[in-house]
Amino acid sequence: MEISEQSLRALVDATDEQHRAGMASLRSDIGELHSEMRRLRPILSRTTAQRRMLRRAAGTASLVTIGSQVLPVSSFLPRAAAAGGDAGIAAFAESVELTAVAAYDAAAKSGLVTTKAVLDAAVKFSGHHTEHAAAFGAAAGDAATGKLNQALLDALVPGLTAAKSENDVLKLAYDLENAAAATYLFALGALESVGALQLTASILPVEAQHAVVLGQVFGADAATLLPPFETETTFVDPTKFPVG
Amino acid sequence: MNHDHIRREARAIEADHRASMNPFANALSRFLDNESRRADDTAAAVLGGLSRRSLFRIGGVTVAGGALLAACGSDDDSSGATAPSGTVGGTTPATQPSGTAEEDMTDDVIILRTASSIEELAVAAYQLAIDSGLVTTAAVGDAAKLFQSHHMEHSQLFQAATKKAGGKPFTEANPAVLAALQPTIDALQDEAGVLMLALELENAAAQTYQSNVGMVLDLSLNKALMSVGGVEARHAAVLAGVLAMDPVPRSFGGADKAIAAGTGV
Repeated sequence: MEISEQSLRALVDATDEQHRAGMASLRSDIGELHSEMRRLRPILSRTTAQRRMLRRAAGTASLVTIGSQVLPVSSFLPRAAAAGGDAGIAAFAESVELTAVAAYDAAAKSGLVTTKAVLDAAVKFSGHHTEHAAAFGAAAGDAATGKLNQALLDALVPGLTAAKSENDVLKLAYDLENAAAATYLFALGALESVGALQLTASILPVEAQHAVVLGQVFGADAATLLPPFETETTFVDPTKFPVG
Repeated sequence: MNHDHIRREARAIEADHRASMNPFANALSRFLDNESRRADDTAAAVLGGLSRRSLFRIGGVTVAGGALLAACGSDDDSSGATAPSGTVGGTTPATQPSGTAEEDMTDDVIILRTASSIEELAVAAYQLAIDSGLVTTAAVGDAAKLFQSHHMEHSQLFQAATKKAGGKPFTEANPAVLAALQPTIDALQDEAGVLMLALELENAAAQTYQSNVGMVLDLSLNKALMSVGGVEARHAAVLAGVLAMDPVPRSFGGADKAIAAGTGV
């Protein structure tokens, strides 16, 4: 177990400082984002012609930093641009991310995760989910709830309660990360605004990479660890796990 | 970035690497192991039973990352390629393979042809790795074959989508990117260098597809792009881990290594 601490510490240390710096600036980042979106609102539309205009604009648009990641302003246009559907999906995604944060917190407090490096990884990934929730919340605008998805958390509790080992907890986190990736693939089929699509597309691969790291630690099967395509098989259905 | 610079960076990385003795690889390997577990079994656990020897017993890194970025990204604003949001400028195509004239193609077709060209390049790169003799760890060779098979499927998906969009599928490895990478390929000296090149390709592919989401007129393509982009990100995480690099280096996917739509096609 001592060696595992070493290994996972190597996994998480490299970006820890970057993440903390990003989180420190998150509040001002969101403020800047809202300011930018007010400025850009007049150009927002989902028509093809205007999407082309957004594409052209994206090449020269100013950048904002959300958390630790610099993204073009156009990535956050959905708050103003999206129809209710996009805002609702973003709010749902926010709730999923906040649930992931809560799940990692519960895992950390379960007493089953005894390897410090695993705990560090949980903190790090939880931090990523916090950033994702903030970005989705900004995209959702008035539809954002700032709350976790209680139905989803309720569904996760039995697994956490039944967990008897660190690997059991890792498996739950692995399944949750894969479910998040699947959920965002599902969302990409429903979202319409460019910004909401790009934001979601920027988060899906990170969830997939979380899953790879966790799956490698406990020895997940190749079919779910390294599939040929991402699928929606395990997506979190918003009709079964509604926001609010 | 010239090759001397890459080699200097590589030597520095190698020194660090040897000093740390690949803590991620060795330690994770042992974490997966118990006392009686053989190295082969550990790698098998990671790669789903593919391996015969430990994937994590890798030699020094001799090829630095950034080669693909240097090849595909450009600070030259004169690039004629259409750059989706967040992408770096595209390299001016070294050649214009026979096919549909760009002015006659829809944006979707250009994006899809670029995508299949990247997938074909990845297939070719992994074949090069397999045939090179530089990959001496069986598990790495097995991983290369698995990832290559994924890229074959990805290429087929994008080629079919190109046809559906009314275009002519691009079936060759991207000639512009391949030409730019050729010096790096020629300079490969060992397994770690091959792994680094593969990592750069996977990151470039993942970021390219992510950057194209929202840029396609056929909205169904958004899912297709990320059904592949997510997998490239998974490949990258595995390769980065083997190279003792951070498997999840960002909290959001980036676009700095994306290949601009139209590059080479």
